[in-house]
Amino acid sequence: MKSNLYKYTFITSIIIAFLFSNNSTAQENDISNYKMMFKFNSFKQSDNSRLLEVSFIAKNKKDRKDKVPVYDAEIKFFNILNDEEVLLGTAKTSKEGIAKVIVPESQKYLTDADGNINLTARFEATEALDEEEDEIIIKNLNLVLNLAEIDSVKTVSVKAFTIDSLGVEVPLEEADINFYIESMLSKMKIEEGSISDGEYEFELNKEIPGDANGNITVIAMIEDNDDFGNITQKKTVNWGTFNKITVEESNTLWSEAAPIWMYVVLTILLVGVWANFLYTIINLIKIKKEGQDEDEELEEVELELKIDK
Amino acid sequence: MNLNNRKRELVKEFSPMLEKTSLVSKIWIGFLIAIILVGLYAFILQVIKGHEVTGMRDNVVWGVYIINFIFFVCISYSGAFISGILHFLKTPLKNSVSRIIEIITVLSIVIGPVFILLCIGRLDRLHYLFLYPRIQSPITWDIIAIITDLFGCFIYLYLTFIPDLAILRDNDNLKVPNWRKKLYKFLAMNYQDTPTQRERLHKITKTMSTMVIALAIVAYTVLAWIFSLTLQPGWNSTIFAPYFIIAGLYSGVGVIIIAMYLIRKYFKLEKYLVQSHFTWAGLVLLVIALLYAYFTFSEYFSKWFSHKIHDTDLLNTLFTRYFWQFIFANYIGVIVPLVILFVKKFRTIKAITFASVVAVLGLWLNRYLIVVPTLETPYLPIQDTRPEYIYYSATWVEWALSLTGVAAFFLFFLLIIKFVPIIPISGIIDNERDELEKDENLNKNLTE
Repeated sequence: MKSNLYKYTFITSIIIAFLFSNNSTAQENDISNYKMMFKFNSFKQSDNSRLLEVSFIAKNKKDRKDKVPVYDAEIKFFNILNDEEVLLGTAKTSKEGIAKVIVPESQKYLTDADGNINLTARFEATEALDEEEDEIIIKNLNLVLNLAEIDSVKTVSVKAFTIDSLGVEVPLEEADINFYIESMLSKMKIEEGSISDGEYEFELNKEIPGDANGNITVIAMIEDNDDFGNITQKKTVNWGTFNKITVEESNTLWSEAAPIWMYVVLTILLVGVWANFLYTIINLIKIKKEGQDEDEELEEVELELKIDK
Repeated sequence: MNLNNRKRELVKEFSPMLEKTSLVSKIWIGFLIAIILVGLYAFILQVIKGHEVTGMRDNVVWGVYIINFIFFVCISYSGAFISGILHFLKTPLKNSVSRIIEIITVLSIVIGPVFILLCIGRLDRLHYLFLYPRIQSPITWDIIAIITDLFGCFIYLYLTFIPDLAILRDNDNLKVPNWRKKLYKFLAMNYQDTPTQRERLHKITKTMSTMVIALAIVAYTVLAWIFSLTLQPGWNSTIFAPYFIIAGLYSGVGVIIIAMYLIRKYFKLEKYLVQSHFTWAGLVLLVIALLYAYFTFSEYFSKWFSHKIHDTDLLNTLFTRYFWQFIFANYIGVIVPLVILFVKKFRTIKAITFASVVAVLGLWLNRYLIVVPTLETPYLPIQDTRPEYIYYSATWVEWALSLTGVAAFFLFFLLIIKFVPIIPISGIIDNERDELEKDENLNKNLTE
């Protein structure tokens, strides 16, 4: 009995261990095993404000997949010209190791003679971490997006230019540009091209549904350009073909009423089975009645026997 | 041999089981009631506080309740299937196990659906399922199938009880309370075992056994469709219905073997439940284990080979977070029973029962791995939330209610076999009557 008890307890414990086991691996958390990745980027947004973003991640030197975001680190963003530093803003890194600051369109930047803006992001040293700094030098590029129907052709055009110290527009000589359509979760690329002499134009022939009102938002983006950074411009237009769905949903299982064949099959099956139940119950009643008759016959025989006696 | 005297002898033999409740039985019943009371407290807590007290959340909306539901309902379907098939076999061996299977069938189909009710967050809206049924929905098909199957199983069980109830009614030596005698009389429906009544009863029992086989297959399939007609990774599979049938039979045969072992040991029925019962049941389990292994391999192999991103995610989850559970469910749960049942030397009663325990536990875990990891790896993962909302872990309330289901199963089983003999007396009599008739015919032929 004791050995049985031991055996069953043993088996049960193994099963419980299987049920509740968690696979965890030990990690080396020593900071010397990590290399700091401090990456600074600038995005000129559609409202002409500028998003300055720093990504601050610690990367394991041995295991490339092991990345730990640096959380709650204070990052300062500057516009620098020679020895002059203008603080544009400060932000703390999020749980993802990202610190962001938005500089409004009205901000006047310090520029050098060629119109270059020096933007610098800085993390000041702490007891645990060394100082980190990254700079980008860009020119302030203006992007004008135009959406128009020219001879019933949906035409997307952009103008890209910088403004010199005299306030004269200088067209952009050459740069790659991408066009997207904004969607709920991400954006869909519709065109890739190259700006020359400050202009680029293409015809939008694609049938795009747009939102419930038929609106689509076209985004023009110059991405990771060495001279200008990231520039975005977007505009919404009523070019969507949302109400022009011609293919009807054919899956009747999603419709309000079930297809007729389903009612027929279900009815045949149910009637067949329940009729059989009914047949069984009727036969049971017959069995009961036969038993009753048998009882009555027996009683009559017993009565006759008594009378004879 | 006088059959009426034989009936009296058999009633006398089984009367201790029907008349008395031993101290062990009383303790056992008390223990089961205690578990049920804890479950009742857990249930009240769940009704008052809602599903907050369970591990189910927006991401993983189904937990151990649905697994218990599938598990019990599958046991019932496989019981109905096996019981129906046994009815067509002409072997005296079937008599000793038929009632065990029939009781398991009915109890499982009564207890299983209770778990689905526990899954419903708004029980007050339950009647909407009947008021506004959506005929296109597999859930509606399942409700219809379960209700029909429940009625079918009840009628079938009752038909098999009638001759024994009549024997117990006619036996004056049986010392049971008057209410029980009256109940025997009422339920026996004036059955006198006349040739006409016997023939009629055999006819309808035969039809009902065909019906329960068909019902089991239909209901099994519909249950599998609840999963496979969705597009969820891990569920949307064309072989899910036959896979469920095989898996259900695997657990069903396992539970029957365990029940046979416990009843044999507890009620000292070594005379009726012999080695051959276990050997044959073990061989059936072996064949089903091979089929189950084949289906399981086929199911996961195609997922792995096709390399669809969501299937790969699911497999990664199974092989990391659920590694040991996966190994137990799909390797140990199959290989251990296969080895025990394949080698003739190992086919002892205890070893076969152990193989069944491993198979049943493996099957329960297999159900867990079908339900939970899929819900944890949806097409559109839930974002920015606490881990307990993403991953499922059953709470004590769920475990208490799960154990309550098992306790209720055992308790009702005990109560039923206190009401009717676990070995059908009428079956023994029928076999002996057939033997007598055979002998008489043989004598007649010899004298002629």
